[in-house]
Amino acid sequence: MDCYTANWNPLGDSAFYRKYELYSMDWDLKEELRDCLVAAAPYGGPIALLRNPWRKEKAASVRPVLEIYSASGMPLASLLWKSGPVVSLGWSAEEELLCVQEDGVVLVYGLHGDFRRHFSMGNEVLQNRVLDARIFHTEFGSGVAILTGAHRFTLSANVGDLKLRRMPEVPGLQSAPSCWTTLCQDRVAHILLAVGPDLYLLDHAACSSVTPPGLAPGVSSFLQMAVSFTYRHLALFTDTGYIWMGTASLKEKLCEFNCNIRAPPKQMVWCSRPRSKERAVVVAWERRLMVVGDAPESIQFVLDEDSYLVPELDGVRIFSRSTHEFLHEVPVASEEIFKIASMAPGALLLEAQKEYEKESQKADEYLREIQELGQLTQAVQQCIEAAGHEHRPDMQKSLLRAASFGKCFLDRFPPDSFVRMCQDLRVLNAVRDYHIGIPLTYSHRYKQLTIQVLLDRLVLRRLYPLAIQICEYLRLPEVQGVSRILAHWACYKVQQKDVSDEDVARAINQKLGDTPGVSYSDIAARAYGCGRTELAIKLLEYEPRSGEQVPLLLKMKRSKLALSKAIESGDTDLVFTVLLHLKNELNRGDFFMTLRNQPMALSLYRQFCKYQELETLKDLYNQDDNHQELGSFHIRASYAAEERIEGRVAALQTAADAFYKAKNEFAAKATEDQMRLLRLQRRLEDELGGRFLDLSLHDTVTTLILGGHNKRAEQLARDFRIPDKRLWWLKLTALADLEDWEELEKFSKSKKSPIGYLPFVEICMKQHNKYEAKKYTSRVGPEQKVKALLLVGDVAQAADVAIEHRNEAELSLVLSHCTGATDGATADKIQRARAQAQKK
Amino acid sequence: MAFPHRPDAPELPDFSMLKRLARDQLIYLLEQQHEVDKLYKVESKPAVSSSEQLCFLVRPRIKNMRYIANLVNADKLAGRTRKYKVIFSPQKFYACEMVLEEEGIYGDVSCDEWAFSLLPLDVDLLSMELPEFFRDYFLEGDQRWINTVAQALHLLSTLYGPFPNCYGIGRCAKMSYELWRKLEDEEDGETKGRRPEIGHIFLLDRDMDFVTALCSQVVYEGLVDDTFRIKCGSVDFGPEVTSSDKSLKVLLNAEDKVFNEIRNEHFSNVFGFLSQKARNLQAQYDRRRGMDIKQMKNFVSQELKGLKQEHRLLSLHIGACESIMKKKTKQDFQELIKTEHALLEGFNIRESTSYIEEHIDRQVSPIESLRLMCLLSITENGLIPKDYRSLKTQYLQSYGPEHLLTFSNLRRAGLLTEQAPGDTLTAVESKVSKLVTDKAAGKITDAFSSLAKRSNFRAISKKLNLIPRVDGEYDLKVPRDMAYVFSGAYVPLSCRIIEQVLERRSWQGLDEVVRLLNCSELAFTDMTKEDKASSESLRLILVVFLGGCTFSEISALRFLGREKGYRFIFLTTAVTNSARLMEAMSEVKA
Repeated sequence: MDCYTANWNPLGDSAFYRKYELYSMDWDLKEELRDCLVAAAPYGGPIALLRNPWRKEKAASVRPVLEIYSASGMPLASLLWKSGPVVSLGWSAEEELLCVQEDGVVLVYGLHGDFRRHFSMGNEVLQNRVLDARIFHTEFGSGVAILTGAHRFTLSANVGDLKLRRMPEVPGLQSAPSCWTTLCQDRVAHILLAVGPDLYLLDHAACSSVTPPGLAPGVSSFLQMAVSFTYRHLALFTDTGYIWMGTASLKEKLCEFNCNIRAPPKQMVWCSRPRSKERAVVVAWERRLMVVGDAPESIQFVLDEDSYLVPELDGVRIFSRSTHEFLHEVPVASEEIFKIASMAPGALLLEAQKEYEKESQKADEYLREIQELGQLTQAVQQCIEAAGHEHRPDMQKSLLRAASFGKCFLDRFPPDSFVRMCQDLRVLNAVRDYHIGIPLTYSHRYKQLTIQVLLDRLVLRRLYPLAIQICEYLRLPEVQGVSRILAHWACYKVQQKDVSDEDVARAINQKLGDTPGVSYSDIAARAYGCGRTELAIKLLEYEPRSGEQVPLLLKMKRSKLALSKAIESGDTDLVFTVLLHLKNELNRGDFFMTLRNQPMALSLYRQFCKYQELETLKDLYNQDDNHQELGSFHIRASYAAEERIEGRVAALQTAADAFYKAKNEFAAKATEDQMRLLRLQRRLEDELGGRFLDLSLHDTVTTLILGGHNKRAEQLARDFRIPDKRLWWLKLTALADLEDWEELEKFSKSKKSPIGYLPFVEICMKQHNKYEAKKYTSRVGPEQKVKALLLVGDVAQAADVAIEHRNEAELSLVLSHCTGATDGATADKIQRARAQAQKK
Repeated sequence: MAFPHRPDAPELPDFSMLKRLARDQLIYLLEQQHEVDKLYKVESKPAVSSSEQLCFLVRPRIKNMRYIANLVNADKLAGRTRKYKVIFSPQKFYACEMVLEEEGIYGDVSCDEWAFSLLPLDVDLLSMELPEFFRDYFLEGDQRWINTVAQALHLLSTLYGPFPNCYGIGRCAKMSYELWRKLEDEEDGETKGRRPEIGHIFLLDRDMDFVTALCSQVVYEGLVDDTFRIKCGSVDFGPEVTSSDKSLKVLLNAEDKVFNEIRNEHFSNVFGFLSQKARNLQAQYDRRRGMDIKQMKNFVSQELKGLKQEHRLLSLHIGACESIMKKKTKQDFQELIKTEHALLEGFNIRESTSYIEEHIDRQVSPIESLRLMCLLSITENGLIPKDYRSLKTQYLQSYGPEHLLTFSNLRRAGLLTEQAPGDTLTAVESKVSKLVTDKAAGKITDAFSSLAKRSNFRAISKKLNLIPRVDGEYDLKVPRDMAYVFSGAYVPLSCRIIEQVLERRSWQGLDEVVRLLNCSELAFTDMTKEDKASSESLRLILVVFLGGCTFSEISALRFLGREKGYRFIFLTTAVTNSARLMEAMSEVKA
């Protein structure tokens, strides 16, 4: 324990830096790193190496080889590079490898060396070739910046949504800049470049010359520049061996340092963390590593072999052929506890716990000391936090044990921070394992990355079992956790072309079952993407929501299957979508045949046609020999579509023919009558003037009578065999409307009325002609006489008739019409008659 | 009058939440997203607006799309450029987008959706305001709204907890129910564990009972609907009612205290009640005399406003009553009702037939004539061929030949059919039932198979005792059963089915009725085992009418609720009546 701080190096007065080993690498590299193009992804990501990148010979043995390793040196992929010469490699935020070729084409590979896609950085780049390229990360994603042979810059801030921007020209730039970098300020990517003693800042619009404040004089060129992980800080290395450190906005200087080494460094990166006490820049030469900050002395390390620096959010990873190390500023909690002779509460608690294990009474003394100061809570918190910063599980354990020990003496210490730290550390230790090789630190990288992204990365590495174990261990909701991973697994599974469709489908269904949140249609879509249509269809069978199956089935041109699935889903909109697909896909005949077997789809399509494609509707009915509907169709056409009489009659004729075919004699006859009527109405209009067209038969006759054309009316009634009853009603109403009482009377006497004479009374009363009404009361039949008399208001006589009829119902009817004073006598009479009737 | 609820009757859930939800969504859509400042009705005439942006709030119908397309194309011709937004309610249909595309304006308009499906018209009445549902489903066989129904049920169950007991009858009911269940399963977890507020849900297709919907309504609210047409819970009273020269729009719901007391009453009681009320009101006014200043002050500040309000409502309803009386006597309402009752009871068929014939010959009203014909057909299991032909001929002569299509529609919907010889019918029937058992065919719309459906009304009526045996006068002031909504002559079939099923808590023992309704495969019960429902919630029943319900049915069930200590909540695709049903089936010249 005494030597715990042995690897701590002070920088300035307040901060310590330490370097420890993450892994010893056994990746058996044959070449030196310097002979390769190297790219390592941040957040403990994978490492890509391109061997022999600069050989131009075509011989296979010396062709470039692209190799991908995990951070612990486990090989993930290796492939022979067959494309053009590569200028630069880099990893995107999604852990995709971007390989920038000399011709400006960027090839994108997956973690396992699987080719994903490619894109070009534009014609200008193609013509002038790529001189240098950088892959950089912004909040939108990963970008590519390119320096062309014409010393112009082109960049795209997000390769996922490729928009190329050509940066403005730097005036008077004759040669390549000595160094350059991308900056990201206010969500916009800029380029900072150095030419001789001058610095230029390029944005989309302009090129401006900038000067870092407080830069020492005598600089004739900048050899190296470094921008921090968060784009907040910038460091410049000059040919005088002088290092300027300041903000990336170039508005403020933090500090400077003179290292007196004039050789250009191989790499320079920032090493800091959020809320850093003492930010530092790490400069690497061939055999020397120097950590400089705002302190007169720097920390120096000797490099035994060729090394490569990877800046991280909270430190720097350094890997070489044999080791992989991490250099960072010692976190506050660790410093407080482990600093020599520290009296911080956490340090005392750790001590107390150790004494307690030794069964020494000193434990009590330490504990009392903390408690007297009232710092036990703080002590526990410190221990918990420090545990998170430890890489070695034994150190984590002893700190957590101390925290747990201290917790016993606290009444109310909320347990979640302790529990969560234990959980998190288990997860972290698991992914840091040599076989997994994701060296994440707790505080920033793990928390910054979030557990969801970490799970994604495990899935990307096809470490499904571990990912599922983590989900289960952390009790993540199934939809976010286990089912998501299973779905990914299934998507991977369908790509295994050596396994038969049946086996893959069965294996997937066995694992996934009915896990909520798993979309079989997504997996099927992936299978289809791999060209396995049959497998996709098998997988879709497992999809419980039939609606989800439809879009993919359509894509796979299984439209008929899609149609039945859509119908099964009960979603008419979906059915319709499929229908229109089918319509375009099949020829008309087949399309109609398909519809014929699906009545629901057929009625939907008919609805659509009714408004949008009338002709198709007709064809549909024709196809089905549906003469009834065909007839209706033409009837509708006869008054909706056709204007001319001839056209209308023709439409009706077609309709009548159809009705005959449908064996609907009634409709056929009715249609023929209508044709006759139409022709006749036309003639009437010609001969008599006025409007006749489109009147009903009844109204036509009425109109004739109202116009005084009684002969014509009667002729029409005969021609169309209007029943007597109707004719009498019609004539009666029409004549009363005309108030032609004389004609009415004549009509009433023409023969015996088939509707009786009560209607005559009613209609006259409607016209308020009591005099005329009374004329007919005598002719009303006996059953309706009372009613008729009451209508004309002759209550007394009505009473007499009712009494004569000895009809109880009629008596009460009359009684209800007796109004107070005037009919008093009548009422009495009825009462008497009633009484008499009862006596009998 | 106005029967109080039993003291243990459950409280109704608060539906104002739905209203707020809908209102806020709409305001958000119109104001925030689309900055609408003026509203026009979508009609088939060009909108006169100089605005730079037009926003259409429409049902997803092809007709509406063409209207919009015409407008946009007219603007294009005139060289105008505007922004167009189409908001579809309750959802956008692919077919609509297709039409926009075919009309060449897909790129000119932007689309949005307003998922509004439930409008609370009253404390116990939710309407989807989809009057087109009836024609779309029962005539055209279009199932597009079933999804909307399922969504509405889903919304209700997320707001008011799951429904522990579910019953239903009819193909549409079954499909809606299954689709809704699927929705619930997909989004499980949300409603699970919630205490149910509503204990039962009952889904019923309109075609289970056309008879009730076709009868003349004689309960006050139904009569107001038949006479003046209630739209979205409000009615326009014309000058003849308001006794002024202005029309007045009046909200009719439980908040109108006068209306609330008479809405469920048989019309013959309403007048007496109103005059009693008027006398009471007068008495309250009269109390003013002999008040001292302080009492007067109290009276003016506290009671007067309420009295005045009541006064206003009272005079409106009296006006409405008078107007109804006037109209009904003119048409010889008694005669009409007598014929209807004869049809329901199945006697004097010949007489009724000639009454209908006369009705047609006199051109009384095309819709009324049609209604009587349908009533005759359903109660008699179809018309005898001779009548079928002659009535149709008469009808065409009276009201115009285009109604040939109306008859074809009515036949397809099973509303007006011809009696077929017995043997062929059973053959078709068995074929249809075979189809029904086949799963794929089970989804076939029954619009076509209904051709072969018998209504079996007479048999059902006997089985369920729909025509009460009356000894002496039926006292409409003190109703004995639900028949009071039809003057004691007929218990509404739909309501009787609901009553019977609720009593048994299943369809058990109703097999024969179900068979007669042609629904052997389409009646279902679904009960959850867990018994988390409180006894109070178990007495709350949500009745879902697919294809519309009438105010008479609502009144009848309200009565049943009071008798048994239940409370009914009504969810309907739209409030309907006989005229609306007939109009939906009618073909009219464009």
